Amino acid sequence: MSALLSISDLHLGFKGLSGINNVLHGISLNIAQGERVALVGESGSGKSVTARIVLGLLQETRSARISGAVKFDGNDISAMNPKARAALRGTDMSMIFQDPTSSLNPAFTIGRQFTEVLRRRDPSMGADACQERATKMLGEVSILDPNRVLNAYAFQLSGGMNQRVMIAMALANRPKLLLADEPGTALDVSVQAQTLTLMRNLVADHGTAVLFISHNLGVVREFADRVYVIYRGNIVEDGPTQALFSDPRHAYTRALMSAVPRITGAGLPEVPEVSEDFFAPQISHGGVA
Amino acid sequence: MIRAIRILAANPLSLVGVILVALVVFAAIFAPWIAPFPTHNGAVVDFAFANKPPSARNWMGTDLVGRDLFSRILYAYQISLVLGVVVLAIAAPVGTIFGLLAGYLGGWAEAILMRIVDVFLSIPPLVLAIAMMGVLEPTLTNAMLAVTVMWWPWYARLVYAIARSEREEGYVLAAEVIGAGTAHIAFREILPNCLPAIITKMTLDMGFVIIIASSLSFLGLGVQPPTPDLGSMVAEGARYLPDSWWLTVFPGLAILIAVFGFNLMGDGLREVLGVDE
Amino acid sequence: MSLLSLENLIKTFDSPAGKIHAVRDVSLEVTQGECLAIVGESGSGKTTLANMILGILAQTSGNVLFNDTVLSPKRTPDQRRHIQLVQQNPLSSLNPKRSVGASVRLGLDTYGIGARADRWQIVEQALEAVGLPANMRKRAPAALSGGQRQRVGIARALACEPELLVLDEPTSALDVLVQARVLRLLNELRASRGLTYVFITHDLAVVRNIADRVAVFQSGRLVESGTTEQIFTQPQAEYTRKLIGAVPVVDPDEMALRDKLAESS
Repeated sequence: MSALLSISDLHLGFKGLSGINNVLHGISLNIAQGERVALVGESGSGKSVTARIVLGLLQETRSARISGAVKFDGNDISAMNPKARAALRGTDMSMIFQDPTSSLNPAFTIGRQFTEVLRRRDPSMGADACQERATKMLGEVSILDPNRVLNAYAFQLSGGMNQRVMIAMALANRPKLLLADEPGTALDVSVQAQTLTLMRNLVADHGTAVLFISHNLGVVREFADRVYVIYRGNIVEDGPTQALFSDPRHAYTRALMSAVPRITGAGLPEVPEVSEDFFAPQISHGGVA
Repeated sequence: MIRAIRILAANPLSLVGVILVALVVFAAIFAPWIAPFPTHNGAVVDFAFANKPPSARNWMGTDLVGRDLFSRILYAYQISLVLGVVVLAIAAPVGTIFGLLAGYLGGWAEAILMRIVDVFLSIPPLVLAIAMMGVLEPTLTNAMLAVTVMWWPWYARLVYAIARSEREEGYVLAAEVIGAGTAHIAFREILPNCLPAIITKMTLDMGFVIIIASSLSFLGLGVQPPTPDLGSMVAEGARYLPDSWWLTVFPGLAILIAVFGFNLMGDGLREVLGVDE
Repeated sequence: MSLLSLENLIKTFDSPAGKIHAVRDVSLEVTQGECLAIVGESGSGKTTLANMILGILAQTSGNVLFNDTVLSPKRTPDQRRHIQLVQQNPLSSLNPKRSVGASVRLGLDTYGIGARADRWQIVEQALEAVGLPANMRKRAPAALSGGQRQRVGIARALACEPELLVLDEPTSALDVLVQARVLRLLNELRASRGLTYVFITHDLAVVRNIADRVAVFQSGRLVESGTTEQIFTQPQAEYTRKLIGAVPVVDPDEMALRDKLAESS
């Protein structure tokens, strides 16, 4: 299968008052059709900016210096004009953010926002057709009373409910790629676990590929087929989830794994200080499509 | 500081503002030395040169009694700046104290203090000033008083809004847990976080105070002759338009330069100090 | 001997939609030197409980006892001094316009700890005790990383020489590696200074490794409490099992434990 998203040698710098501040130092990443790929790293590692480049948002920032290729479905996103990039968002590519409640507009009902989402794909879609499609999508995320939800405003619903609505909206136009940036981090743990399972099953049914951005190794392990670990703008290790978790080889990945407290109670881990080894070359477990 | 200069340099308009303000301040301070006719700030009459257009002797022409307009404008800047500084030096602290206490304490203090502020804000500012000047003698001091009375509530509002949101910050909670007093929390913890916005507003307001003061004297309610004032100069000259155009155009330009300069500088400061409205 | 006792604590808030029962009749003991974890999700009342322990929120009814003395919500400086707080968000917990040292010094000035001339030195010692260089006291918080700020927050609390620390999600805003280091630091400080911790969190994996006892809260009620071992091997309440089952884990051992608990429910 050919890659749906293929990033190669991506560099990113921001021009600031005191010269260029390099954020990504040539990362490469591939996602096959229908594959769930996680990009895991700490804050400031460059994981969120990578997502924003894939979405074509950073290309419009004047201070950003981007080089390297980002190919989506065979087309180079950086080479597109802003209008073409905007046309991709919400149709072939959609996104879910950290806090579902603040991602929804408080001034409009869920139903109205759903209609807008659907009409991005098909502007001629009638009100009844929209209603029908929205109801069906809400059903797929296990919302039992879709009519009440469609007539409600985001602030009238719980965080978990809003998260489900976001998932339903994100998948409503049958995107080829879903970008999820720390989805549900703002939610309670039990709600987060439920919605993640739901999202995992749903993207599997729809055959949607996912780029899953997270700092939480546990969540990544439960969600992704394949994992890239990013540290200070470099990918340090990648491989199928099972292989990477059972045999982490890069010094940074090992440090990260050892730092996660275990519910089996092994005691607080001793964490190595930042060392030269953290900057060692990328280790790949293979498995790239 | 270096960062401030970089931001200003990257922002040519605010640099223009800084230069204009520097010029105005320089002119005001050194008026007695720069002015070609230093005595013309008072009741001097020289009919030989009355109402003359700009010339080599009088760059901006002369007024109806033969005084050098350029000299008078330099002196008028003195009055304007003093007025602006005095008004803001009183209005800003008074408003700040009201706003800080109302914003941090909340409850009854907030209700009482902010209702007082609302009462002042509900009266149109120029009307309030005109009413006051109608009762009081039209002197420079009373003009300052009138403008101050209508100005401080805006600072109370500004600081109140900031203090209310800062009250929810973790550092305020930390100080409360330690048991620091109200005065410490309001003035040492919260106030420093309001200062950038206050300073920015003061800079912007210098221009507006100059306009309001000029408006008052334009209406004959501010500074009285023979003391030079930009507003009354415009008012006086307006009767002789368009023939003696210099009588209004130059004082008008002087107002424009000062107001424009303070505004541009204020916008620049807003960026340097990182204030978002 | 119990250092802190909560007796039938109740807190109700009035809201336009009616009364909100934030904390419903909670009784708890915290023994000198232990780490008690208070676990719950949003709306569990754990933050309200912490605020009542700290004396910044008055309870509707019930008592807070410290060293067998009933604390009124209006506390004396000495009573305040012995119960200090470390907050969740290191970005907001330090005043951006004051130096790190000034923030740490506040407690010293408020309680009159040390001679005035020695206080900067005490501040520097407090910074060093949490693994920061002494010269950091002159820096602005903006120049510090999240982990460093959190250490400053701990130094600020410790400078007051408290007996009890209320830790409100002290590591949940930190990166994994930084979190692990801060947790170790907290453990070392507790041992070396004989501190008592009330550790508020939603992160059960952290609780497992730092707490002696656990109290699980849901909607303002104490649903279960016990030793950490008990809670993680034989949780009694359905809710506790659900919480443990939702923890994202990385090891096969952990999954086995989770599955075992899921089966027994």
